[in-house]
Amino acid sequence: MIRLRAVPRFAELRLLVVVAALLVLGYVAVVASAVASFSATPVVVPITFIGLALALHLFLVVRGTRGDQLLLPLALALTAIGLIEVQRLAPERLALQQLTWCAIAGAAFVVAMLFPRDLSVLSRYKYTWALAGVALLISPLLPGIGREINGARIWIGVGNLFQFQPSEAVKILLVVFFAAYLDEHREMIRSSPRRFGPIPVPPLPYLLPILLMWGIAMIVMVFEKDLGATLLFFGIFLAMLYVATGEGFYTILGAAMLIAGGVLAYQAFGHVQARVDTWLAPFDEELRFGPSFQLVQGLFAFANGGLLGAGLGNGMPERIPIVWSDFVFAAFTEETGFVGGLALLALYLVFVFRGMLIALRAPTTFLQLLAAGLAFIVAFQTLVIVGGNAKLIPLTGVTLPFVSYGGSSLVTNFLLTALLIRVSDITARVRGGP
Amino acid sequence: MEITFTVLLWAVRIAFLVLLYLFLVRAFAGLWREMRTEEAAPARPGGLAYLVVQRTHAGGPRSGERLSLRAVTSIGRDGGNDVVLNDEAASARHSLVSFSDGEWWIEDAGSTNGTVVNGTKIWQRERLHYGDEVAIGRIGLRLEQA
Repeated sequence: MIRLRAVPRFAELRLLVVVAALLVLGYVAVVASAVASFSATPVVVPITFIGLALALHLFLVVRGTRGDQLLLPLALALTAIGLIEVQRLAPERLALQQLTWCAIAGAAFVVAMLFPRDLSVLSRYKYTWALAGVALLISPLLPGIGREINGARIWIGVGNLFQFQPSEAVKILLVVFFAAYLDEHREMIRSSPRRFGPIPVPPLPYLLPILLMWGIAMIVMVFEKDLGATLLFFGIFLAMLYVATGEGFYTILGAAMLIAGGVLAYQAFGHVQARVDTWLAPFDEELRFGPSFQLVQGLFAFANGGLLGAGLGNGMPERIPIVWSDFVFAAFTEETGFVGGLALLALYLVFVFRGMLIALRAPTTFLQLLAAGLAFIVAFQTLVIVGGNAKLIPLTGVTLPFVSYGGSSLVTNFLLTALLIRVSDITARVRGGP
Repeated sequence: MEITFTVLLWAVRIAFLVLLYLFLVRAFAGLWREMRTEEAAPARPGGLAYLVVQRTHAGGPRSGERLSLRAVTSIGRDGGNDVVLNDEAASARHSLVSFSDGEWWIEDAGSTNGTVVNGTKIWQRERLHYGDEVAIGRIGLRLEQA
């Protein structure tokens, strides 16, 4: 089995102590502000979470994991902020549910650190992963297990017990597949592409997936009504294509195709129109208390926050509908202000930067592409939802990584973190460094 | 009492923000340290693979010595090389061993006596497999995985 050779991770431990203190303080502030009723939940959640964080840290130590010591504390800090916000904003039972999901995500993290023992399995069976991804993607369309919630058909469920958003897991499968695929066809990169005037014609191994991905993105947009996933899938693909080829034109071509598809969809489909209209004129008389109510309330929340915020537990974020999933960033910024919102974004910045550094140093092209793609998921998803909250781009229902309430997203993000740490671990072993 | 509670609550709220920034500063510091060590990394001993000395002579490297290889390693008699071989038959800049696309490669750097891989003199850049024997001057080396 796996050789047990513990490696101390003091930097990680020091950061985790700060995370624990952060969670306790945030919880105290939120709970003390709500005078309504006291229950055991506020005590159980932080203690369990801190225990979980320590367990994950000790697991990495015992496994003998080398390399990165920043990602786990960052992921846990963001998750802790998520727990504070769920406690603050959502009904009490959701806080416990989110805690349960944290435990499941932690278990997923452990499993992903141990299996597959050799990451090359990921690149060897790439078409299997791609197939699994496609199957997951279309599963919500199947009658029986598919669910339509809040106007998007992106859920699968069994009875009322268990609901899962498969498009979350698909993101990782997509990155794994493209990392393997682009790695296989990398010899194309060196041969300069045939040019049609100043325009490079993409060779077939690139052109084919561009078209295929475009088709899949359009299907997701039209049939599952999930604009966020459309943007994410296609964005991830274009970013990885750019990282692999360094050819900016492919990215421009892909973006143009997406925009063209978006314009067509805007003409043809009501749900796309609604999103764009509320984005362009949220304060419109007819939309103000209707479709754009959530967005408008979010904008007011930002404004109410000001520079230093209303104080954790002291704002009025409950006036935003379903605030704990899509608008958690607006709620956090209202209560901690510009200062707090900036800090939250900076946490993502450090996470993504660290991921990209891991990618730069990874010993093989496959691992480089894998790490870059995974880091990009977090970056792009944060951009899409924060931009949507702030009315920079049309609002799409993607989660704020680690922070938003939601199990599928949390599990996926911890799997992603585990993979990044593994790539860093492999790099450290190959280089013989610490 | 009421006022004390409010003041305390605000102290907690502000402490939360201060702690958030403390965490951020530490995370940035960790990132910075990481980047600094990366810059210093190439000078660190221990590499991707080794050339193990098989055949040598008095004045040359010890038999069984492991010469660690980096992404690009120059070998020759001159002190400016990454691996310095004290051997009259070796040229000042003799060969170049490099790692790219997951493979090891060797090329002759314009030496007088040539570079010999598994008994054959090489004329262009050649793949180098683990276990291959390289002869430079009178010194025999074998590529071994780290």
